[in-house]
Amino acid sequence: MLAEIGLVAGFLSFLAALYAVAASVYGERFARSEAWVISGRNAVYVTFVLITIATVALQVALMTEQYQIAYVWSVSSPDMPDLFRMTALWGSQAGSLLFWSFLISGFAAGATLANWNAYRRLMPYAIAYMMASVAFFIGLVVFIENPFTSWWILPDGEVVQTALMPAGAVAPSASRLAETANGLNPLLRHFGMAIHPPMLYLGFVGFVIPFAFAMAALASGDLSTNWIKVSRRWALAAWLFLSLGLLLGGRWAYDVLGWGGYWGWDPVENAAFLPWLVGTAYLHSVMIQEKRGMLKTWNMFLVIATFSAVIFATFATRSGLVDSVHSFARSGIGVPMFAFWFGLTFISAWLILWRRSRGELRDEHRFTSIFSREALFVLNNFVFVSLFIAIFWGSFGAPIISELFMNTNITLGADYFLQVTPPLFVLLYILMGVAPVSAWGIASLARMGTALLIPLALSAVSLALFIFSGVTNPVALFGYAIVLMSGWVAVVETVRGAIARRRAHQESILTALWALSTRNPRRYGGYLVHLGIAIIGLGVIGSTLYQVETQQTLAVGESMSIGDYDLRYDRLLSNQIADDGRVMDIAELTVLRNGAEIAHIRPRQDFFPEARDMNTMTIAGAHSTIENDLYVLLVNWDEISANRATFKVYINPLINLIWWGGLILIAGTLLAAYPRETLPVRVRQALRLAPQPA
Amino acid sequence: MKFAINTHDLWRLCVVIVIIAAISLIAHVQVAGAQDAPVTTVTDDQVNAIANKLYCPVCENITLDTCGTAACADWRYEIRLQLESGMTEEQIVEDFVRRFGDRVVGTPMDPLLRALSLGTPWLLVAVALGAVALVFRRRRTEPVAMPASPAPTTRYQDLLEQDIAG
Repeated sequence: MLAEIGLVAGFLSFLAALYAVAASVYGERFARSEAWVISGRNAVYVTFVLITIATVALQVALMTEQYQIAYVWSVSSPDMPDLFRMTALWGSQAGSLLFWSFLISGFAAGATLANWNAYRRLMPYAIAYMMASVAFFIGLVVFIENPFTSWWILPDGEVVQTALMPAGAVAPSASRLAETANGLNPLLRHFGMAIHPPMLYLGFVGFVIPFAFAMAALASGDLSTNWIKVSRRWALAAWLFLSLGLLLGGRWAYDVLGWGGYWGWDPVENAAFLPWLVGTAYLHSVMIQEKRGMLKTWNMFLVIATFSAVIFATFATRSGLVDSVHSFARSGIGVPMFAFWFGLTFISAWLILWRRSRGELRDEHRFTSIFSREALFVLNNFVFVSLFIAIFWGSFGAPIISELFMNTNITLGADYFLQVTPPLFVLLYILMGVAPVSAWGIASLARMGTALLIPLALSAVSLALFIFSGVTNPVALFGYAIVLMSGWVAVVETVRGAIARRRAHQESILTALWALSTRNPRRYGGYLVHLGIAIIGLGVIGSTLYQVETQQTLAVGESMSIGDYDLRYDRLLSNQIADDGRVMDIAELTVLRNGAEIAHIRPRQDFFPEARDMNTMTIAGAHSTIENDLYVLLVNWDEISANRATFKVYINPLINLIWWGGLILIAGTLLAAYPRETLPVRVRQALRLAPQPA
Repeated sequence: MKFAINTHDLWRLCVVIVIIAAISLIAHVQVAGAQDAPVTTVTDDQVNAIANKLYCPVCENITLDTCGTAACADWRYEIRLQLESGMTEEQIVEDFVRRFGDRVVGTPMDPLLRALSLGTPWLLVAVALGAVALVFRRRRTEPVAMPASPAPTTRYQDLLEQDIAG
């Protein structure tokens, strides 16, 4: 029954999405009919309701173990805990595409509901573009990767998987299906997988809103800043979710993949990073258009490039374009996804060029100084785009071109990325430090220098502390100096503002900080984000340049040393059976520092007997402090006596700053997106002039 | 035909069996010993230092030191043997590239591929920089647009202005 509900609801939602596109375009462009446009709007809500029904049907099927549905059979098993039954919704291709469709449809419905009255002129076109994207993804779910197909036994005994029941077929026995059910991919049986994919998907699909409003502006001819106003918070929300998705993905890799790191420069990791880079460039550059009426074409290009990168990332992840551990499913969606990506990018580019050729995207001001904030933001955009180019080339360009035209396979790994990207990141951190102290319009080097004096002095003091703690590598010191400067600028600018307000209003410093943040959340949220990025930078430099690793075999009772730590192997607990059926081999070790016991850690290997692929996971044991992580992997052990075991041990300095910096980044983004309805100047003036009540 | 066996023959047979068993046992212990605890001066860290620079030829984008497959364990053992035989790190990496191609290293060793891989992004960035410079140069001669007419206001602002207008 659930399969039938899902099938019908999915198909109807596809029709409703198509209808929303057609009614909106016809009503606005051809019939000039409000009724058609409103009908198109209502179809957006109907699509969302229907796709929600389909998604809930699949979720219920997973929770109630309906193994006749092939998707449920392939991603769950009777011994799986409820949490992983829930996360199994996005545990494989078909379910994750349905979940994606549900999210993108939700964003479309939310944006329509929130902006229908305020931005009436843009809405029909925005709906058309949003719902075209929604229809495409629901179409993939309905026609190519349908999660509601079921197992049937034909009269001749053949077992098939079809959406509709074949003539004379019977359903396999429930007990047999339950016995043979695959279970979720072991790599996905982690708490991080309950959060990381939804965050990443929300980040990806969220960018459909700024894209649709930019396209609506181009199509409707309303090229004022309306499309920017309406889409700014949506873009910030999408950026926040994407940042969270990337951070959680890094944390998941660190906890589950068992290689001591958080970022492997894997093509699919990079694919998710690419939209973040152009999206970040857009969030900066859009301020120039708002403040100075400049870079109109460029902003259109960036917002379209961001969504185009999202679709490309999805295409690369799901089509197996470049193989990696993430390409968990390959199917027939590659060609349609490529066609959609190409068509969307081509039409968008054509619309921009058309409007530009008509002189409708001309800037209102010129650049006056290379030290002005707008010029520095342009430079910042250039660096973001350069990073995009370098990472795209390393992940996709070079491997694909070498295979297609040079008949050879190459992999550009961490070696390549660590040679090409650091100069660009250095430039980015320098700009992050300098741009906030520059001014719009005309700015001078002398003025910027004065504003940078205190942050530079604080950076020098901080750097001295690093040197005092033993950091002598010139590369590391240079990196720390740049990152510290960018972080201190954010702190000093915030404190400077708070002190000025405190003087003016005789408030406490905390009250002044709060008042500043709520009165100008964009600026102070932005500083907080910069601070978070600076802290992440410290973590990245420390954990990359100062990581120490060793691999040794110990007998029970023996110890090994690494850095300031000693590690004693106490015992091995073999064949421990967990509730979900996994078999665990757990090593118990004692961590000592200066002879004193400070922790007990339990690295382990999990074996999943029922899993068909990748049935072993290496879970690290870690002792975490702000200073570093002692990260231990159980590599091997003596099967019979369990007397000897081999451990791979890492010390990852400052790695926890990455996660703490991430939290600050999230707080800053939330602050920047904090809704504050400002009154236009003329309204404020009118309010001031109005007679005050007695 | 009558087959007879006497006590002496039995005794001799037993001695032969014991000798064979003892030889087998010693041989087995020697083999097992070699498998369990190879006498080697090469440490795991030395092996991993090289394995970290090589990508698994079978899996995608996983370095040999972290790959958990049996094939990679064999390749790590092979690196150990190569180190024991006196090969340098460079020779071992070259040997893997010769056998599996440039995909087993993070940047290709082939000079042309290497130059293309590392040089192209900078070339593209330079082209982008040139394009930006060109656009800005042209912009200086273009007339600026009039500031956009006040954008159609939001519903909230409309309501406020209506309230103010009375």
